[in-house]
Amino acid sequence: MQDQIKNIRLQFTEELQKAIKNDAIDELYLKYFSKKYGIITKLLKELPKLSPQKKKTLGPVLNKLRKEFNEKISEAKKEIEHQKFCDPLIDLTYPLPPKESGAFHPITQTTREMNEFFRYYGYSICEGPEIETAEYNFRKLNLPEGHPATDLQDSLFVKEPDILLRPHTSSVEARILSSHKPPIRAVAPGKCYRNETSSAASSAFFHQYQGFVVDKNITIQNLKATLEALLQFLFKGNVKTRFRYKYYPEVSPGMGADVQCKFCEGKGCEVCKHRGWIEVLGSGMIHYNTLKMCGIDPEKYTGFAFGMGLDRLAMSKFGITDIRKMYNGELVYL
Amino acid sequence: MRIPIEWLKEYISIEKSPREIAEAFTSLGLMLDKPIENGVLDLEHRMDRSDWLSILGCARDLTAFENLKLKYPKLHIEKGRTPTKNQVVDIKVECSDLVNRFNTKVFRNIKVKPSPEWLKNRLEAYGIPSINNIVDITNYVMVELGQPMHAQDLAKMRKPEIVIRRAKKGESITTFLGETIELDPNIFVLTQDNIPTVIGGMVGGIETGVDETTTDIVLDAGNYNQTNIRKNSRKLKIQNETVLRYDKFLHPKLTEIAIQRATYLILELAGGEYYENIDWYPKKTPLKNLELTYKRLKLLSCMDFLPKRIKEILIALEYRIIEENKTGLTLEVPYFRTDVEVEDDLIADILRINDYAKIPMQMIDSAPPREITPDIYKFEEKLRDVCVGLGLHEHITNPIVSRNTKAKNQVILENSLTSKKDALRTSIYETLSQVVTTYKKHKFTKVGLFEIGKIYLVEGEKDRFRSYKEERVLEVIYRNFALNTYENSNEVKRILSGIMQNLGIKNLVGEVKPDSFTLHTEKLMKISSYPKRITTEIDNYQTEDLSLVLHTNKAFGEAFEEIEKFDKNILKVEVTEEYTSKTLGENKKAILVRITHKAKGFSKIKKKLLDTLKEKHQIETR
Repeated sequence: MQDQIKNIRLQFTEELQKAIKNDAIDELYLKYFSKKYGIITKLLKELPKLSPQKKKTLGPVLNKLRKEFNEKISEAKKEIEHQKFCDPLIDLTYPLPPKESGAFHPITQTTREMNEFFRYYGYSICEGPEIETAEYNFRKLNLPEGHPATDLQDSLFVKEPDILLRPHTSSVEARILSSHKPPIRAVAPGKCYRNETSSAASSAFFHQYQGFVVDKNITIQNLKATLEALLQFLFKGNVKTRFRYKYYPEVSPGMGADVQCKFCEGKGCEVCKHRGWIEVLGSGMIHYNTLKMCGIDPEKYTGFAFGMGLDRLAMSKFGITDIRKMYNGELVYL
Repeated sequence: MRIPIEWLKEYISIEKSPREIAEAFTSLGLMLDKPIENGVLDLEHRMDRSDWLSILGCARDLTAFENLKLKYPKLHIEKGRTPTKNQVVDIKVECSDLVNRFNTKVFRNIKVKPSPEWLKNRLEAYGIPSINNIVDITNYVMVELGQPMHAQDLAKMRKPEIVIRRAKKGESITTFLGETIELDPNIFVLTQDNIPTVIGGMVGGIETGVDETTTDIVLDAGNYNQTNIRKNSRKLKIQNETVLRYDKFLHPKLTEIAIQRATYLILELAGGEYYENIDWYPKKTPLKNLELTYKRLKLLSCMDFLPKRIKEILIALEYRIIEENKTGLTLEVPYFRTDVEVEDDLIADILRINDYAKIPMQMIDSAPPREITPDIYKFEEKLRDVCVGLGLHEHITNPIVSRNTKAKNQVILENSLTSKKDALRTSIYETLSQVVTTYKKHKFTKVGLFEIGKIYLVEGEKDRFRSYKEERVLEVIYRNFALNTYENSNEVKRILSGIMQNLGIKNLVGEVKPDSFTLHTEKLMKISSYPKRITTEIDNYQTEDLSLVLHTNKAFGEAFEEIEKFDKNILKVEVTEEYTSKTLGENKKAILVRITHKAKGFSKIKKKLLDTLKEKHQIETR
């Protein structure tokens, strides 16, 4: 028996080398370990038939053999895999075209980044109709018909004067405030339309991003802190901000937020139209009358709102210089 | 609003540079809009503050901000001579719904000549050309105080009267620019002897203009219905410095101040005598009172202000304190602040003059409210991921299109800048297919595109909001320019199947065309489920290929469904090939089907299945 084992070991060592060469490890494994005909399996099956003395000496030897062969086989397997990967015919530096993959529109990517920021702070994402009523688009936002500030939005009408394409996403704010009870914390990305000649810098079709919060004890300090956090997020924590008074009919007090122009560091240049600063968003404390008209008690609740264009942000992110090309089919993904 | 700094310094002694002054104005709400040129600031006007269309109004805020004193322009407050009966220019107003005040004075024996240099220079720096001293004074006072004014040569008037009435149909007027404008009864006019000479609040006619020969004038400052001027000036496309101010809210009291200022300047620069004349002001517009409670200021700002500081700011802005107690102030709003509506506007003024830069920052510390994001939003986001995962490129195309006379229920725009863009799309294919052209032009061999957006329809009466429908749609276009239509449509089907697989939808939905398909996302959401594309027991699954033979004109769809639903041990069925050959016999086709099934007990199921196919569908196996 001992001699037999010795021979098996010799035979195995020889066959292992061959199997490695011929990539036939699985066959080798079966030859020794198959449940039906494996050489080692057979020997192990005979073990119980032997005398106690022989069992005592042969048992450990056979088990050792089994373990040893198993290990060698799995090592050999790894070695073969490795050899395959090291095939000198494989040239990993050879340039090949990438597997096809799709891509998101710049506006989607920008919106998703913004959404991610606001989701962290507990905001829901809301929507509203693009064909809007004057009620939600103007009146509830403290903009009666004929008010001078309606100039700020030159609208496209579907049926004058009551049905129009929304010129801003503030209408979504009016709808959500009218249909939900505070506390409310939401953002609303969406399409907007204005009656203006399209140019490289502005388009009759564009995107806005609106945000609004209504709760007890919401203050202008909350607004300023939120906008500061947003601007640092948008400009990678590396931007000087400026907050100033700015009038918007649907808020009071109103607030404008700018970031310092990176090209001139505030001195004024072509990029910032010599202002030194770039206007990013408009905001303010939601107007007393707006809250009231939306059915929220302005003595009990206060809130803030902000809105910004998404197009310029997306354009600067992706190096697009003409807004029209984002929407007229001239955008090509490489 | 353009502000020549030299002019501004008439009212405020400020040592700062133009750039620094511009920064202060920007903080106050008058953002620098254009580069500073030749000492002139061009500030963005936001429509609310009519007093910010006057240099004095801008200066007033600046003094409050910089803690300086406002220097008032000189006024002539003393009354003029009392006219004799025939010296009076009669004023009649027949449309009192459109006119709030019409304030007039008469000047006699004045000398019309070129303006002095300082006056010329200031007007020209602002952007108004100099004409003569009288015309220049009316313009100067308009820019200085924000009240448009108008002077007419008495000698050229048909009759010593000004009658204000609605225009009649068929009447017209030739402006001093030589343009003839047709009038209608929505517009009101100033007339003499029943002939219109001025379009109310907009533009004067040529007839009674002041020139070098003029000696006697009637000067007027009116206050009109803002909405009327706003609407009609837009309709007539008249845009000028007068309209710019009259389509904002002005207080009738401003006419008084403006006339006192103009009187001072006329007597100074043109001499002569001045007479009282009719001030038509039947219904006095009162000044507004507002309460400021310190509690509300604290609520909105969360800042502590000393009452002393609050009062200092409000007084600098010319609010009058009527009453004061521990909890707050009762204030009279100055006449020129027609924008102030509510208490929060007072708070805005306090925070603004105190400087927004000084407002501390504090994040919201209350718990986030319940989530209200609609499911469809999340679903469409997921759909975007699925489409991109299938190798499609997302596009967003402009939904404004040219009107299609054949399209039913299309939403048409009533106003638009071009006739090419005057309606909304009724399908996304309409706008998305343009992208294919671009890709083709740039020699791409294939394009896979998708857009998730809306289509717009109107059903029923057009003046009812409810008639307008916005439908949410996913549109996919796939074009491989190397493939024929049949092959291309197979690719389209594969994309659709991919989407359905990802959404856990078994049955085909939507409309498939050889190059595209359209899915209504709301319907899609309802039938989608979390797809079970994961298993931990893959070893138990086996596949078996069946070769099924059937008549060439027999559709296979029903039989396919039969196989899919035959037994719960059948997990997946795919068609791998379809062919015809002579060996099959005439009018026969073979379809290769691969069935993935659980290993146990399949042979019995298979036998039953083949029997069923034979009986119900006349399908044989090879």
